[in-house]
Amino acid sequence: MLLEQLINGLGQGMIYALMSIGYALIFGVVGLVTFAHGDVIVLGAFAAFYSFTFLNANLFVAVLSGFIVSGTMGFVIHRVCYNRFFSSPRQIPLICTIGMGMFLRNLIQIASGTEAKPIPNPLGTGSIVLGNIRITYMQIFIFAVVVGMSVVLTLFLGHTRMGLSLKSVSMDKTASALVGINTKRATTIGNMIGCSLAGVAGVLLGMYYGMITPMMGGNIGMKAFCCAVLGGMSNIWGAAVGGILIGVFENLGIMVFSAGMRDTVSFLFLILVLLIKPEGLFARRSR
Amino acid sequence: MKTILKKNPFCGFDLLRYEGRIIVVIMALLFFVPLVISDKAIVNVMTLVLLYIVLVSSLNVVNGYSGQFNVGQAGFYCIGAYTAAILSTRFGWSFWILLPVSGIAAALVSLLLSIPTAKLKGMYFTIVTLGFSEIVRQLCLNWTSLTRGPRGISGIPSPGFFGISYSRNAFFYYVLFVITVVMLFCTNRVLKSRIGRAWRSIREDDAAAASLGVQVARYKMLNFAYSAFWAGVAGCVYVFFQRFVSPDSFTLDESFNILAMNVIGGQGTLLGPIVGSITINLITEMFRSALQYRMLLYSALIIIMMWIRPQGLVGSINRKAPETEEKTEMKKGGVIDGSAS
Repeated sequence: MLLEQLINGLGQGMIYALMSIGYALIFGVVGLVTFAHGDVIVLGAFAAFYSFTFLNANLFVAVLSGFIVSGTMGFVIHRVCYNRFFSSPRQIPLICTIGMGMFLRNLIQIASGTEAKPIPNPLGTGSIVLGNIRITYMQIFIFAVVVGMSVVLTLFLGHTRMGLSLKSVSMDKTASALVGINTKRATTIGNMIGCSLAGVAGVLLGMYYGMITPMMGGNIGMKAFCCAVLGGMSNIWGAAVGGILIGVFENLGIMVFSAGMRDTVSFLFLILVLLIKPEGLFARRSR
Repeated sequence: MKTILKKNPFCGFDLLRYEGRIIVVIMALLFFVPLVISDKAIVNVMTLVLLYIVLVSSLNVVNGYSGQFNVGQAGFYCIGAYTAAILSTRFGWSFWILLPVSGIAAALVSLLLSIPTAKLKGMYFTIVTLGFSEIVRQLCLNWTSLTRGPRGISGIPSPGFFGISYSRNAFFYYVLFVITVVMLFCTNRVLKSRIGRAWRSIREDDAAAASLGVQVARYKMLNFAYSAFWAGVAGCVYVFFQRFVSPDSFTLDESFNILAMNVIGGQGTLLGPIVGSITINLITEMFRSALQYRMLLYSALIIIMMWIRPQGLVGSINRKAPETEEKTEMKKGGVIDGSAS
């Protein structure tokens, strides 16, 4: 029972990790908090849903469509919410992202109706049994996708010109501009990548739950925010660890409390951690 | 910020010069609403407008004056509402006692929440308030023996006044009117006192404030509690007005709603919350017939407002926006850390 919940928690934590990696990337590069992240995640899930129903798509196409649709939305969000507000007080772009999130949520709701949509699971319900642990194919798939994307992201950030410019923009925008980096382009691309990762996380989440509704975005976005804060905001690996920790603690927590207390458990965990380490688990020392 | 504002034709006028007089005029006009308009639906909407003035002003005390960024005001609103609902249905407490009691209950909880938040800054504070509001809502949803869970608490008695029980809308309108006036008066006095100056000094620069002898943590706690108190009072009135309460009224969207009204009206001004509440409520009410497109319009309106007048309807260019040094540092973001550490 405990082991099984641990495995479930890891599976869910992996999805949270992907969500919060996106969040941390956006926060790092753009430097602003977003409240539209949850709705971008749901948008990715709906992109997968429509590609399953209308295109009879396979798994790969579904994940790709989530990636592309959410990434495009990332571009729109950047244009609407961030582009002109880099030098204004921080609450302005933040309110814009709240508005953007509400807009997306209601748009999805109008387009697809309020009822929950089932997402097929092309992997079936098969599982691998190791001793007394059962690991479903779905969980393995999630693990593979999340680890794969994180590795690609790390390589991108560390070894390409664009990735390095993203890193430098996250350190200091003015200085980056001085050494000839196009900061506008860098922030746009950073935001798009963050949103694309969110879209993929949405596809995985939809398949993991089997059901998606337009209204689930608010909660999921908060979860991503929560995991990113736990990991120390702009630290990508910290965010991933934060996501996994939250996923595990949630699933252990609902063994003790009822399933309805899922979010309460994760927030209590976050508040407790912040009591001890007010800057998150893996925050860099402020320079 | 100024460069954006200069290009923008909508940013020219500055209402703040006449802030006090405008508030008096608006409140005087609001006083006559139920006397002139007999349509029950309109009075209902105006009652909600007053309710939101109290709620948004309470949030404004934190966000506008002490420079912290609270996004979980619905949590305190919820605590006030449930305190009133439970005490009135189980123990038959009267509305008039419950008004201060639910306010105090919310304030006490905020003091409890201050223990973790006193150390936190910027986004860390924000996520805790956000999480807190969600925790409160889920407790109400799951603690069925106390709150009846998702079914909510109904059958809340209508408040009596000298032996006569009132349920007419105009009654609630005037109760809220008095509360709003008292609140605006108190807030104005507090802001002009030593406490208010301490709050603003924390907003501008908390390190400098501390070096001048302001006990930052204590004043932040006081600020938070004062804000929570009024949100709790608003919750109590809401419960007696609707005669029903369920956790659905206190979702994250409600918090965002309050926040949006505050920012659209103008943070850090007394007039801002009033204008924000009136504008947003009336506009969304006008588009009620648009049904599902209403929220779409509302969200578009939020974004458009931020584009054309980012400092809020009554905010001024000349006033320093509530932004502390710590926040500018956050604006830079942090170093994204791609290497495994």
